[in-house]
Amino acid sequence: MVDRRHPLIAAGRYISLTAIAVVMLFPLAWMSRVAFMLPMDGLSVTSLTTAGWTLQNFRDLFTQANLGWALFNSILVGGIVTIGNILFCFMVAYGLARYHTITNKVLFATVLVVLMIPMHIITIPLYLLCLKAGLYDTYWALILPWLVNPIGIFLVKQYIESIPPSMEEAARVDGAGELTILFRVVMPLCKPALAVLAIQVFFTNWNSFLFPFILTSRESLRTLPVALALYQGHQAVDWPHLMAGSTVAVVPILIVFLFMQRQIVSGITAGAVKQ
Amino acid sequence: MMKPSRFVDLSLTSPWTVTLMLFWAFPVVYSLLIGFTDYRLLVEGYHWVGWENYRNLFRDPAFLTSLENTLIFVLGTIPITTVVALGMAFLVNRQFRGRAFFRSSFFLPSITSMVVIALIFTNLFSRGGYIAFLAEMAGFSPPAYGFLYDTHTALYAIMAMDVWMSLGYYMLIFLAGLKSIPDELYEAAEIAGASPLRTFWSITLPLMRPVMLFVIVINSIKSFQVFVEIFVMTRGNFNTATGVYFVYEQGLTTGFRMGYASAAAYVLFVIIGVFSAMQFLVLRKRTALW
Repeated sequence: MVDRRHPLIAAGRYISLTAIAVVMLFPLAWMSRVAFMLPMDGLSVTSLTTAGWTLQNFRDLFTQANLGWALFNSILVGGIVTIGNILFCFMVAYGLARYHTITNKVLFATVLVVLMIPMHIITIPLYLLCLKAGLYDTYWALILPWLVNPIGIFLVKQYIESIPPSMEEAARVDGAGELTILFRVVMPLCKPALAVLAIQVFFTNWNSFLFPFILTSRESLRTLPVALALYQGHQAVDWPHLMAGSTVAVVPILIVFLFMQRQIVSGITAGAVKQ
Repeated sequence: MMKPSRFVDLSLTSPWTVTLMLFWAFPVVYSLLIGFTDYRLLVEGYHWVGWENYRNLFRDPAFLTSLENTLIFVLGTIPITTVVALGMAFLVNRQFRGRAFFRSSFFLPSITSMVVIALIFTNLFSRGGYIAFLAEMAGFSPPAYGFLYDTHTALYAIMAMDVWMSLGYYMLIFLAGLKSIPDELYEAAEIAGASPLRTFWSITLPLMRPVMLFVIVINSIKSFQVFVEIFVMTRGNFNTATGVYFVYEQGLTTGFRMGYASAAAYVLFVIIGVFSAMQFLVLRKRTALW
């Protein structure tokens, strides 16, 4: 539908759209501007135009504040958790979609229940569990509990159910083993759903703060959000460095966002409309 | 044809079975149990204390304030977020030049890290910051030490940021809902000579009800658990501590009162459950009205 109504309405639409866009984009623009200011520039409203430009903040963060480690941790943990979710959500979803046993019906019900459970309820017990099991303050605590997630299972299961099982049956008649069927026949067909899943998991993990924060204490295990949130603590008002660090945390998301918007949108809206 | 064995089935689903047992079922049950004890991390041994934690919670002014703040947060943000996000969805629903740009710029904040957003707004809300500058221009006098250092404004400032951040996300969900309404209905309404307002009231709104229910329920569950922005922006000071912040403060800082904190977490859990159930009932039944 193309809007062919009165030009005044069209103008009004563009004015309100532009106003909203300014409000939505200004804070991120402000962040990237401050990231390139010198610490002594002083932050006032006028410094937007009067302050100079420098890369010094970024250099400081990597040489003095160990931001490199945080970046490395975020990439490592995000990568492993994403790969784990692609593999495990796919396996579980395939099992639930193709084997209609009573146990599987119960298991799928638990997926839906966990989807609704507020995460805050597991913070204290998960902290204790990690402490007692020796996972606390190790990479394991950042990885093990998050290797498979209910939204992912739900998403991939829906997708597999839309694929007719005839291909798998044909492969089975030809004598293919279950592993071959799983990874050579079905998995390639699920690529679109797995791409959506991968982005969603990576974003969630990349931005996650609460659990990485409570399940670790060593500085060398901090992910980017944890490092940024705690950086504020020791140097009270050091905005140029903080905003430079924030920019480092936002840029990867922005790059994925620019190239894979369609997958991001379908990840966000999956499940919402089918309700 | 060779029938796949039961073993294959069970091993396929095993990652979920293990995660469910270890990281969901066990914690949920465990925190219910320690909620009835005086368990502290740094103190040897613990005792079964029955409902004492729960009784104490409802006499604890800090807990009651945190519940009040959480309710203000939920009831204050959700109506605004829902209405504005729906309006934004209407604005970008039709085809026009630059639509993709506007749509993306609207939901960019919602995929950015909460810590980053909270840091940026801590700066914007600070003394002499942009928002104080705008407030002065509009003729208001901003709080002397910035919006986050004032008991009367801190919570509302964080709520405003939260609305700003989540608008794009809910706009996308509403957009998907609008897409699922068949065009024929609108064409029929146009032929019948229905006004745009009438079309909105009689076609769009009723058909969007399931999506609205989804948005409101999801947003409530999320808002009841607000924590990260509180931690980053005020550390619970200036009357901004919410329920989950209270749980964190009691259980995972100096006192490590695991039992007490778990009981508080369960109170919140029950409130969220009751609240979601109520929303379901109200928004499901209103068919006749809409």
